[in-house]
Amino acid sequence: MAAFAPVLMLGVSKKAEKEINKTFEVSQTRLAPVLSQDVTGIEQKRMFRVTSNENLLGYAYLGEAPSKTDTFEYLVVFDVDFAVKKTKVLVYKEDYGGEIGSKRWLKQFLNKTPDDRFAYRQNIAAISGATISVKSMTEAMNTLMISLASWRENGEPYKL
Amino acid sequence: MRFFPLLILLLSLQAFAQNQSFQNSAMRQLYNLANTENRLTLGGYGEINFNGFSGKANEIDVQRLVLLFAYKFDDRVQFVTEIEYEHVKEVYVEQAFVNYNINNNLNARAGLMLVPMGIINEYHEATTFNGVERPSLDGKIIPSTWREIGIGLAGKSNELSFRYQIYAMNGFVSFNEAYVLEGLNGLRSGRQKGAESVNSDINLSAKIEYYGLPNIRFGLAVYSGKTQTTDLENPATQVGLTMLGADYRYTKGRFSSRGQWAQTTLRDVAAYNAAGNTDLGSKMGGYYLEAAYNVLPLTNRQRIDMFVRFEDFDTHKETAGGVASNPAFHRKETTLGFSYHLSPGTVFKADYQHKNTAANENPIKQFNVGVGFFF
Repeated sequence: MAAFAPVLMLGVSKKAEKEINKTFEVSQTRLAPVLSQDVTGIEQKRMFRVTSNENLLGYAYLGEAPSKTDTFEYLVVFDVDFAVKKTKVLVYKEDYGGEIGSKRWLKQFLNKTPDDRFAYRQNIAAISGATISVKSMTEAMNTLMISLASWRENGEPYKL
Repeated sequence: MRFFPLLILLLSLQAFAQNQSFQNSAMRQLYNLANTENRLTLGGYGEINFNGFSGKANEIDVQRLVLLFAYKFDDRVQFVTEIEYEHVKEVYVEQAFVNYNINNNLNARAGLMLVPMGIINEYHEATTFNGVERPSLDGKIIPSTWREIGIGLAGKSNELSFRYQIYAMNGFVSFNEAYVLEGLNGLRSGRQKGAESVNSDINLSAKIEYYGLPNIRFGLAVYSGKTQTTDLENPATQVGLTMLGADYRYTKGRFSSRGQWAQTTLRDVAAYNAAGNTDLGSKMGGYYLEAAYNVLPLTNRQRIDMFVRFEDFDTHKETAGGVASNPAFHRKETTLGFSYHLSPGTVFKADYQHKNTAANENPIKQFNVGVGFFF
């Protein structure tokens, strides 16, 4: 193996960037990787710190989860304390299950922190006709929160 | 959703070996590794049912076994198909269409597609509805699984919380060298299933669904056009029809409920009945309402939904051309039972059905047990 660990980042789409800027109400932000390597449940390339003029605004996570016959991409924006400020489905390619992109439905994750857990039909509402994608997104968000909590417990600092 | 890497690899090797010229086998392998991920989805669903009757022999049937294949050609183009085995020995293609994802809110589709009408016709996997048998309304009024060959648009707006579908499709056949439609089953006997189907007229199908309120979803559908005939010279071999459908699905915590209303108005029925010496109704329709309650705690992985469903529909709501309305075509049915979801994707069902008609003669009392799966 090479002696250096190259920093792999996902290409952040214009759409994701726009959503991040909108969430923090700034016109421009800088994104940089948070992790130096993959940690349990979080790939290095998916997690970013968001700064503007050297000020830490928060974090962004670009996720991918399965829908019925494909995958979809979503964005989660956190504040500096890892409370959810925004969730957005960026790309949903198939027709079935696209309802999870509903602003109303995604609101359920707002202000939640790594201490929160999500369970389909318990604290996360069902959408009839979009069960597979709803379960998938709920599971993905739950896994993300568990991973963030465990990352925190393992002594990794939030603010790098 | 299950991905079978080996199968995918084999399929891809085959497909790309034919279409791509690689400089060497290593390059080909790299190409395959980079491109085979998540391209093919395999899935399936089905149900195996027992129907117990009093006064006649019971029936045990592998009612349907459906294999789902979806293949992603690139980020925008996908092919979806369902191959269905009914009663073990009848093979059908239930869906086969190409979906072109133009953007997040718009898809163009063409092929053999489900007609968007009511709930069951589009969402009919055994784990998604209560009752061993589908609601009877979704057989006699909306002839599920109702699919036709067509082309159209589908998509959604998450800003406005609605989903839409609009298709130009082929329709029911009313005359195929013989008169096809009759009173008891309404339009069901005119289904063509995309098999060497007769086409003389284009039909239009559309549905909008609203999901902007918590826990509930509404649907409104319309289907309109003329039936298909092989005798283009004889107008009495065709009828016009407009079907309207409305439905809701509600889920909150342990309670769920759904309901559906559908009505078909037919035109030129008097001439059709006279020419074909048949008894097709000129208006048919009805509704059902269902409520269910999960008796297990929400924290359990399993779920037992106790449910009751009432149905009231009539394929002779109105008649034309001197055909007397047959009260035996006005059904009143009650179904009471449970769906025991052993895991997400598997269900054991049992219910009792009381099927009466407005004629009030010899109601059918039926006990059903079934096992269903969906993956």
